[in-house]
Amino acid sequence: MSSYKYLIIGGGAAGVSTAETIRRVDPTGTMAIVSNEPYLMYSRVMLSKPAFFLGKIPFNEIYMKGKEWYDQNHIDFLGGKKATKCDSTSKTLTLTDGSQITYEKLLIATGVDARKWSAPGSENKANIHSLRTLEDGIAIMEEIKTAKHGITIGGGFISFEMADLLNLAKIETTLILRESYFWEPILDEASGLMIEKALTSAGIKIIKNAEVVMVNGGIVNGSTNNPGPELESDRKENSPAIVSNNDSNTQSPEPITTPGFDSLKPVNTTNQIQGPITSVVVKQTKPDLKEIEIPCEMIIAGIGVTNPTGWLADSGVKTNHGIVSNEFMETSAPDIYTAGDIAEYKDLLLEENVQMGNWVNAREQGRVAGLNMTGSHEAFKFVSFYTTQGCGVNIAFVGDVAPGPDRTVITRGSPEINSYGRIIVVNNEIEGATLINRSAEMTTISKLIEKNMDVSKLHKELGDPNFDLKKLI
Amino acid sequence: MSNQKEYPRNRADSKIAKIVIDRDLCIGAASCLAVSGTTYELDGENKAVVTGADSVDDATLVMSAESCPTKAILLFDKEGKKVFPR
Repeated sequence: MSSYKYLIIGGGAAGVSTAETIRRVDPTGTMAIVSNEPYLMYSRVMLSKPAFFLGKIPFNEIYMKGKEWYDQNHIDFLGGKKATKCDSTSKTLTLTDGSQITYEKLLIATGVDARKWSAPGSENKANIHSLRTLEDGIAIMEEIKTAKHGITIGGGFISFEMADLLNLAKIETTLILRESYFWEPILDEASGLMIEKALTSAGIKIIKNAEVVMVNGGIVNGSTNNPGPELESDRKENSPAIVSNNDSNTQSPEPITTPGFDSLKPVNTTNQIQGPITSVVVKQTKPDLKEIEIPCEMIIAGIGVTNPTGWLADSGVKTNHGIVSNEFMETSAPDIYTAGDIAEYKDLLLEENVQMGNWVNAREQGRVAGLNMTGSHEAFKFVSFYTTQGCGVNIAFVGDVAPGPDRTVITRGSPEINSYGRIIVVNNEIEGATLINRSAEMTTISKLIEKNMDVSKLHKELGDPNFDLKKLI
Repeated sequence: MSNQKEYPRNRADSKIAKIVIDRDLCIGAASCLAVSGTTYELDGENKAVVTGADSVDDATLVMSAESCPTKAILLFDKEGKKVFPR
């Protein structure tokens, strides 16, 4: 049984940020990173960005860390393995291959999974994607080379960014929304319509109040257990998840943990799939009830996430939606910490436990967890924010943007001037903001949220789009 | 031709003499601001700009560059050699 002083589950932004921080404090403590993906740390953010997707930057730029970083920092990378059981009493972790590892300090930063989308006719079909992993991204990148029509499903970041991407790839793109406007109910209708206008001006069609009721085409031969498109990596013997660079298949081939595009792209085998999907039938409920058939060779769904916490049953680690932690990123079990998308952490500014999955939170929580795993006692106190851009519009969310009856919204600018912000005030303090084409104000608003200042007499200034918010700091 | 903007750094205790932001790569994720809010701001195009090149020590500056999910921040020493990303 192997043993590490620091054991990190999750090879993404949170896990690696934790490892970086630990190494700055403790240069010699033994450390390993367990990752369910076989690849060294890559940028999940880059997966949905045009510069990467459309090949404007070399594929291998996706990797944030090379093998030398793990070697130089004496970090064992245990890729292609998943944790299946955690015993917090004996401090033992069990992995999918049956191996067991003991730890002194454990970080759980597994991330979350993309919620699986389905509709009648979607079962076992290729060409239906979510976007979470490198392999998801590669499969989409490969299909945009031949698809003529694509649809994206959902009213959030993924659907927005992927619609932009498909459109940039000159694919006739339709975005399908269950809601009555984009990003309902997080945004108000005016903000949602601004985003829709940007999308439609770029040539993307939007169907609102609608859902897919049938997927046509993509007939699967025989088996109902088709595992989906075969990957190059699946074809290698002895190394089901890792691409081997040793074609002679001699002893223990060194895995390639930063494979290039060609090694990763999916291969459709004719005995499994007969051609791509061909169309979807969309049922729209408003303004009139009707069904529309749209030609479509690929579908990308961004409909939220699910939390992989089932393996922690009986572990002593408390879970709710995600893994519950205090502001020090400590879970309910001794010496077990969490960070990143899976962490349902105590937010000191909002005074409640929340899950806010994004790159910056993952990095910062990882840093705090790393400090605390090496003996510090630092709280994670941070105003969360997220930005995106596409189709000539930039969007930023700062702090808590959830709607609620106790909130006053002060608007800045207007859709007419194509610059529109909403400052959300609770109990006379700024709690969050949504900004369309006003991202430059994001950091100032973050600071105002941190200050907990009384803004009851400042509504006029907050509502004046030409007032410099920095004057309030 | 990539769209890079250079910012000289003149801190006596620093080995880093220049910060470069690749504006084509920058997506406004703002992770650099989270690490060092005194060094960077976002501009009207949702791109990072350097407003305080000398405001933090080298270790913090490197951490801010490391945090970027698109490797849009490049750091150079006094001899013009790239020190990040390596």
